[in-house]
Amino acid sequence: MGVPFKQIVVYLDGSESSMTAIMYGIKLAKEHDATLTAVYVVNTRALSELVKAGIFVAIERDEYQRDLQQDADRYLRHASRLAIQKEVEIETVKLEGTVHVVVKELLKSRKADLLVLGGITDIRSRREELASETDRMMRTSPCPVLVVRDDDDIWLEFEA
Amino acid sequence: MNVLDVLDRNLVKVPLMHTDKRGVITELVESVAKAKGYSTQQFEQILDAVLDRESLGSTGIGNGIAIPHAKTDVVSHVTMVVGISRFPVDFDSPDNQKSRIFFLVLAPQKEASAHVELLASIARSCTSQVFRRMLEQARDSEEVVRLFME
Repeated sequence: MGVPFKQIVVYLDGSESSMTAIMYGIKLAKEHDATLTAVYVVNTRALSELVKAGIFVAIERDEYQRDLQQDADRYLRHASRLAIQKEVEIETVKLEGTVHVVVKELLKSRKADLLVLGGITDIRSRREELASETDRMMRTSPCPVLVVRDDDDIWLEFEA
Repeated sequence: MNVLDVLDRNLVKVPLMHTDKRGVITELVESVAKAKGYSTQQFEQILDAVLDRESLGSTGIGNGIAIPHAKTDVVSHVTMVVGISRFPVDFDSPDNQKSRIFFLVLAPQKEASAHVELLASIARSCTSQVFRRMLEQARDSEEVVRLFME
């Protein structure tokens, strides 16, 4: 464990709150002079589940896989632009698989000392609690986890 | 993205009035068009997209559930309509079981991840036979929403 943090990883999923998380991660990396990594996971597990459940046909799976790759590239490019804006070096990583599993592997391989997440919401149902990838990442992370809240404040501060 | 992120009481229809596949799809699309104030042209664009997808293979997935879906830039965000039918509808499901629970899922091109996550969330939500039975027996949209919130 390093304090101040030296290896910060931010998880992006395309949601507004994960964009807030990257802003927070960039500011944190600058203050701590830390190495910053942004990771996006193409959720191939969800795609497989949809084919298995008969919701997707094969041609559709291939099309969505391409769409998901494009999503990943777009959000990672956006993260890079934000980091450049604040003169912070960032490495972007695109992974595929089951989200919480591949993120855990990345954290271990990078010897990360902080995982930054956005997108934690109140648990609204028992089913949701069992299925949330963010929740699973929090529970399985080998390093401390920082959950970013107060979206508007962070956006305003970042853009100031 | 999961079911609760997009579940909207105004986009739950209980009961559906049509008893055939095309009629149910049209009714679900009408629900979203009415709730969102779409024009006739936009309604037709959505319906065409859903029927085009359906032509690739039925979205009846078995266990009395069908999930018609499509990508369309008529919607600005991932949108879901839930419909419950009093009468079983033949949706060409692989188990030959007729459907009474319907989820129409529409997503703009730029929200592929959210679209996939929502479809997976619906599939997970409906794995429980008890839950499916309770949905089938829901009397109104309030009850459907309450069941998902439990």
